[in-house]
Amino acid sequence: MNDSLPEEIALRTETDIIVVRKSVREAATRLGFGITDVTRIITAASELARNVFLYAGSGVVRCRVLNGSDRVGLELIVEDHGPGIVDIDQAMQPGYTSGGGLGFGLPGAKRLMDEMEIESVVGKGTKITIKKWRKGT
Amino acid sequence: MSEERLSIIKVRDILMVTMPADPDDATVSALQERVLLAMERSTARGVVLDVSAVDSLDSFFARMIAETTRMVGLMGGRTVLTGIRPSVAITLTQLGLTLGKTRTALSVDRAFEILRDGSQQVQKP
Ligand SMILES: Nc1ncnc2c1ncn2[C@@H]1O[C@H](COP(=O)(O)OP(=O)(O)OP(=O)(O)O)[C@@H](O)[C@H]1O
Ligand SMILES: [Mg+2]
Repeated sequence: MNDSLPEEIALRTETDIIVVRKSVREAATRLGFGITDVTRIITAASELARNVFLYAGSGVVRCRVLNGSDRVGLELIVEDHGPGIVDIDQAMQPGYTSGGGLGFGLPGAKRLMDEMEIESVVGKGTKITIKKWRKGT
Repeated sequence: MSEERLSIIKVRDILMVTMPADPDDATVSALQERVLLAMERSTARGVVLDVSAVDSLDSFFARMIAETTRMVGLMGGRTVLTGIRPSVAITLTQLGLTLGKTRTALSVDRAFEILRDGSQQVQKP
């Protein structure tokens, strides 16, 4: 089922955000997610990918199928070697932005997904893992 | 490149703007300038922005729409957004986004009605 999932999508330019959205749509649809969940996952991925492009310049998105004992899910890992996030709690606050955005990307992505984990080291980079489990199986 | 897929046509005195399915940032950014230029050139009195082909709206796109509405407003026009899919409405709301003062309509027909009625209200008194 996961053999045709793209292993890695490089994020270097704005147009790569579209590549991420397309790949994520394909992966989520193939896994049997409903249209609303597919849209949620695409939107969360789009927010994180754009953050990489804006704040770190470049990075990578990895897509993985989660095969739990009783459930199936999709995991996305969005990683960069940019400046890192100084205060993660602050960055997660709806409305907080350092870049003239709306400050909804990170908190929004968390609400749209089932799980989100941020690892960030100042000066080293940021790794954000998001997961969505398929409902109704 | 895909910027060309953003279509703007004039229907009577209203600009009908149709967004492509998965616009890149350049297309979304071009939205503002192209709509405002078209407003000026055609002396349209309102804009119908059709996003029915769009299957995901992120915070960047939403901000551009809200800003475009404000800019069109500064030029004296109104914008009505139409074609938001159910899944997009759910996602936008969960993201915590609003579209500012953008009016919305369920169909293109309704959007035209809103713009027509709105101008009658303004002209009556
Ligand atoms: N990959 C990253 N590397 C460094 N800093 C980041 C990264 N992602 C987010 N941030 C920081 O966290 C803040 C909040 O991010 P968030 O996506 O919530 O809002 P935003 O990007 O500022 O605005 P929006 O996403 O609504 O357009 C950013 O302003 C930025 O300072
Ligand atoms: Mg952001």
